[in-house]
Amino acid sequence: MTQALPARATAPIATAAAASGDIRPLLLATAPVAPETSVLDVAQLFLETRHAGLLSLPVVAQRTPIGTISRYELMRIFLMPYGRELYGRRPITALMNAEPLVLAQTTPIEEAARAIATHIKSPITDDFVLVDDAGDYAGTGLVLDVLRAVEDRLAERGAELERAYARVKSSQLQLVQSEKMASLGQMVAGLVHEINTPLGYVRNNVEMTRGALGEATRLVAAQEAVIAALTGESEPGADIEGHLAEIEQLRTSIDSAALEDLCGLLDDTVHGVGQIGDLVVNLKDFSRLDQAGMQKADINKLVESALKIVQHLLRKREVVVVNEPGELPDVECAPAQINQVLLNLLSNAIQAIEHDRGRIVVRTQALDRRVLVLVEDNGKGIAAENLARIFDPFFTTKPIGQGTGMGLAISHQIVEQHGGVIRATSKPGVGTRFLVVLPVAARGAPQ
Amino acid sequence: MTVALPSVLFVDDEERILRSLRMLFRGRCEILTTTSGREAIDWVRQRPVHVVVSDQRMPGVSGVEVLRAVAEHSPATMRVLLTGYADMDAVTASVNEGEIYRFVEKPWNGPYLLDVVDQAARVAVRDFAAAAERAEAARRAPIVAAPPVAALAIAARVVVLDEAAAIAAQVRELLPDAVHVDHARDLEGALELLAEHDVAVVVAHLSSAVGDVADALKQLKRLRPATLAIVISPLRDSRLVIGLINEGQIFRFLLQPPVRELLRRGLIAALERHAELRTSANLLRRHEVEAARAEPATMPGRLLNYWRRIREAATARIG
Repeated sequence: MTQALPARATAPIATAAAASGDIRPLLLATAPVAPETSVLDVAQLFLETRHAGLLSLPVVAQRTPIGTISRYELMRIFLMPYGRELYGRRPITALMNAEPLVLAQTTPIEEAARAIATHIKSPITDDFVLVDDAGDYAGTGLVLDVLRAVEDRLAERGAELERAYARVKSSQLQLVQSEKMASLGQMVAGLVHEINTPLGYVRNNVEMTRGALGEATRLVAAQEAVIAALTGESEPGADIEGHLAEIEQLRTSIDSAALEDLCGLLDDTVHGVGQIGDLVVNLKDFSRLDQAGMQKADINKLVESALKIVQHLLRKREVVVVNEPGELPDVECAPAQINQVLLNLLSNAIQAIEHDRGRIVVRTQALDRRVLVLVEDNGKGIAAENLARIFDPFFTTKPIGQGTGMGLAISHQIVEQHGGVIRATSKPGVGTRFLVVLPVAARGAPQ
Repeated sequence: MTVALPSVLFVDDEERILRSLRMLFRGRCEILTTTSGREAIDWVRQRPVHVVVSDQRMPGVSGVEVLRAVAEHSPATMRVLLTGYADMDAVTASVNEGEIYRFVEKPWNGPYLLDVVDQAARVAVRDFAAAAERAEAARRAPIVAAPPVAALAIAARVVVLDEAAAIAAQVRELLPDAVHVDHARDLEGALELLAEHDVAVVVAHLSSAVGDVADALKQLKRLRPATLAIVISPLRDSRLVIGLINEGQIFRFLLQPPVRELLRRGLIAALERHAELRTSANLLRRHEVEAARAEPATMPGRLLNYWRRIREAATARIG
């Protein structure tokens, strides 16, 4: 088939076909054979170089294709004893395939391939015939060309799919990242508030104490001078009057009641500093910045620290938390990731509560070689039609800009990577319950 | 004669904050404290409170909600927000809904907070007195009616400062025809208008947190206390808005593109407030601003000339 084929565009056939989508670019303007042409004459035609690449020639009567005659059929006849003599003078209609595959030239490549597959038998002996819109003969086409075009199109699609996959994957990575950043941002906002509140009174108390200490120092110095004068350790000078006046004046702001108040403020300060310290320790534990990968962790501790992190949200919404930790074996897991799941479930639970009788129950329990974590809220619940989709990436019922729709999808992924399962049940208006089951021994290291 | 101390109500869900503030303000004012936003609102309804200083994040009622309710029940009470975290929503709500005097962040600076509350208390004491006087005057001569605010507002002038024309067109469409709306494409044009006319409202499009326009907005209030600023900006920058509140006493901050109804309501409220301010010198003090940290240093000489003209005009008017 390397011979030059007439009347076909020399441009790569398959590409052109792929671009337009129909089989027109595959068309060969093969000169048709008239029905009355003799078998011997047709055999002669097959010997011509211009027909070298063809399996069959079309037989056309008054522009209508009525059949095809194949090289294969002629060879079969000529191989028969006296075949040439018996059939040579007969019209080609006696031997032709009267039911050739005829396709409109506007047939899409894929449809043509399907038609070929159902119509043509093995071995492939015939080319197919193409007709124009009026049903008139237009040319012939090669099965092999169709196959090539289909293959090219498949390759094209494959590359397209690969590109699309790469795009989706990178945008999913971005979303995972932005979900992380969003929950981080939310967490930071809460923490900043939680830290600045004690910092507010700690700073103020320390400043006021410093001011008071300055006054107290002056008071003590003045009193010492007066006492020294009284006990005769030094001559009572003219400045004794000044000292007494100073004592009188300072006594109005520094008295024992004021010092007691200051002591109380310093107690508050110690408390506040402790609170800030706790928050910092929690944050460090939570992010596990200093610990990587899989390790044995106490899920109850993770729950506790996640609850501390969402403390500000709980207070803001007046939500009561009932934490019922069960006795658990340590679980082999990536604690930072499990923290992310817990934080996600808790903040979802808090957000679901729109009334002032909010209550969240967190319960853990060991079962066989697994650990169960249950997070239950009495919030607005999830409608049945949404419940099936909550773990889908991008699915969210929150207003635009408030949820990436990735929180639960990522949680789902994390739990699955740990060889566990996460399930949700919900009743609209009553509440939602999430159950996370984690195996005690990890199946394989996530990531 | 003993002068009664102004009353200041502190609202915070952390008792230790309240104890600390109590100590800080000891002897300076009558101190009221509560951990409940609802109780704070009740208090303001029942007795005169000169200043309310409220935390933002509290269980139940947020600080902005408390201050909005305070503004409604006792407009003469000055409102200060004292918060540990300035998220953008809280900041914009505090200016748009709470119409607060100052936004102060925790941990606060003692002398600064004392100063803010002091200034606020002085304004409020005068306002309460003026309100009492007006009530007394009304009792004596109930027939004399104040000029209708709406009528005053209509004859007012609005300047829109924006490189593009869209906001000016929207403002024109939202206001009655009698209100004169000028469009200035740059700061120079706006300052020229401000120097020559009594402008009620400036609607400024702010595309950058630093530079001439932000600086000018902060300076404007000091020179034209009766002119109200509505800022429209795409910048979700809480620090910028806090600066505009504390140093520029802006009247509204709207994110771009502005919600039509919010812009309309903001414009009407600003025109009404301007009319009130023009009739009451005391109210103007409400709009006292902190000295903007820097003089408009970034401003080229020709713009400074406009500033001088505005300043001279302002002194002439007051004097």
